[in-house]
Amino acid sequence: MHMPSLRSHVSFAVAALIAMLAAGCAQQSSAPGTGGTSNVIKIGIDLPLSGADASIGVPTQYGAQLAIRQANEHRLVPGFTLEAYVLDDAVNGVHDPAQGAKNIQTLGADPAVLGIIGPFNSSVARAEIPLSNSLQLALVSPANTNPTLTKGAEALGMRKEHPDQIAYFRVCTTDDIQGPAGATYEYAQLGVRRAYVIDDNETYGKGVADQWEAAFRKLGGTVLGHDHITKGQLDFHALLTRVAGTHPDIVFFGGNSSTGGGLIRKQMPDAGLGGIVYAGADGISDTQFLQDAGVTANNVYVTVASVNAAKLPVAQKFIADYLAAYKQPIGPYSANAYAAASVVIDAIAKAVKANGGRTPTRDQVLANLRATKDFSSVIGTFSFDANGDTTNRVITFNKAVNDKWQFVTQQNFAGKP
Amino acid sequence: MAIFLQQLINGIAQGGMYALIALGYTMVYGIVELINFAHGDVYTLGTFLCIAVLALLGVAEGSHIGGWQGAAIALLVIALAALLCGVIGVLIERLAYRRLRNAPRLAPLITAIGVSFLLQGVMRNWKGPSEISFPQFLPNPTFAFGGVHIDFRELLVVVVSVAMMIALQLFIYNTKLGKAMRATAQDRDAAQLMGININTTIAWTFFVGSALAGVAGFISGMYFGTTMFTNGYQAGLKAFTAAVLGGIGNIGGAMLGGFLIGIVEAMTAQYISDQWTNVVVFSILILILVVRPSGLLGEQLPEKV
Repeated sequence: MHMPSLRSHVSFAVAALIAMLAAGCAQQSSAPGTGGTSNVIKIGIDLPLSGADASIGVPTQYGAQLAIRQANEHRLVPGFTLEAYVLDDAVNGVHDPAQGAKNIQTLGADPAVLGIIGPFNSSVARAEIPLSNSLQLALVSPANTNPTLTKGAEALGMRKEHPDQIAYFRVCTTDDIQGPAGATYEYAQLGVRRAYVIDDNETYGKGVADQWEAAFRKLGGTVLGHDHITKGQLDFHALLTRVAGTHPDIVFFGGNSSTGGGLIRKQMPDAGLGGIVYAGADGISDTQFLQDAGVTANNVYVTVASVNAAKLPVAQKFIADYLAAYKQPIGPYSANAYAAASVVIDAIAKAVKANGGRTPTRDQVLANLRATKDFSSVIGTFSFDANGDTTNRVITFNKAVNDKWQFVTQQNFAGKP
Repeated sequence: MAIFLQQLINGIAQGGMYALIALGYTMVYGIVELINFAHGDVYTLGTFLCIAVLALLGVAEGSHIGGWQGAAIALLVIALAALLCGVIGVLIERLAYRRLRNAPRLAPLITAIGVSFLLQGVMRNWKGPSEISFPQFLPNPTFAFGGVHIDFRELLVVVVSVAMMIALQLFIYNTKLGKAMRATAQDRDAAQLMGININTTIAWTFFVGSALAGVAGFISGMYFGTTMFTNGYQAGLKAFTAAVLGGIGNIGGAMLGGFLIGIVEAMTAQYISDQWTNVVVFSILILILVVRPSGLLGEQLPEKV
């Protein structure tokens, strides 16, 4: 019994080795920068596309895909066809950092991929930035808002291999602007003074909740408590009873709809908090929130770290094209994804031109992205600063009225540190 | 004080659900010494089945049906969920566990985990991987007593879970089938020699345990207004903890354990912090197991822990 099984193991190992060698050869023959004859350039898209994150992730994906499709129609990269390589970073319906990292490795292993649009969630970005930095493969996020991804010691720790060669960029502004903007709006416009803060303990959720809390205190408001919820938690009755005991006039939630944002709102009336203002940031600005909260999706205020494209004259054609292509209105981050894809396509086009019409390297594309200055896009004109952050700092304020998101106002924070 | 009482109510409501699920764990363990890890998923499947039945009856999100009509629909849905979950439990036992009854313990345990993933996969493909809402069709009047309020849903959870436990106790101690279950749990071979059909008895145990999970599925749907295909994992883990805490194999212990865990969770959320609830619950479990390995009420079955 033992000998045959050993033999079969050996033959399996040999077969596997041969397969691996063959794959290695195949990859090498079309390595980037060799001026190969292949005329397809791929742009990776890594977003959460299933489950509770799909309602915000899929419209973002469509935004990026529309940019790629139109670039092909208008031959923005002469001699090449652009292809979207779409991967989902949600596992069991919720964005997953480990899956995100795996996706970057998958995209990085394909030499035709010269840039990636994504990710959506800051926790996923934390896992992806070190990989994109070490691969020196451009990663442009339409929606990550956590400031530590690009600034300070933590950001440096994430780009250990090439600390000075930024490979991660974003087209939305950050939570050190979004959090205080929300707090100021709610304090001044809604007249709330007593807040209870809840977050989901993720990079994004905790970050934006801390920023909001600090700003609310600075304005003179009282923060009655700050609690963190657990992943997969379904029952918030005990937490909300504790919240109700402190008599707040606003509950702020830092997190996503997929991590409990809508469920907390839904259970608030059970604890006698049905009439209290509920506020959050862009993580709950999606339709999943409206669906989860149901009839309680009222008196809810959110910020979005981007312009409202509907208010921008330059975005009108994009909005019409999007509606025609996907038969649905744009999501809160569709225009950002379109802009992110456009800036990557522009960098590729310039690199192709500089390379005499041959396939450029990832480094050439990155160099062009780093040099982005006054790029005009559907979300306005922007540049990338030394950290890879956009200079375009606009916050949109929305509110939920009768199960629908309504635009309230938007504010430009350009020039702030 | 009002807040303490309010949290006590929250804890009892949540604990009632844990207790109902824990009963299924403890009954199955008591009789075949198998930790049926698929049980939590049968509970979530119960909620899914209720949503499907409500959809068939034309009860949509936002509809309100009061009076006798509402009660009749609720009873019909509970009965169907219990029946369907019971049948699924019997099928799981028949197809996955029966052949492994005399296999080494690890085999049925791994099989149970496999069945759990299978059920999750079925639910995921059925309704998708996101939260799905449960129509809150019954009116929800709130009763207030000096700062403490109980709403109808909380009452429903407590009343239904306590009623189910009493019914189960009566069933186990006052029927022939219950007696057969107790005999099989005590000594399977001796019970067989006495003319008890072991296969039928074990199938009935799975039926009753899974039917209780179906009932728990209905009341959790009413209480939370939402479910997701992965919910059974955590609820099942907590209920299993409740069963061990009370003394696995012991029906009274499962109820006690369920209510205790619900109350400890609510009190932790109030007086320590919500993010510490799981830490506190599982620390208590470890403490109990170290100090009293047979659980709180598990003295008569010391060898089964």
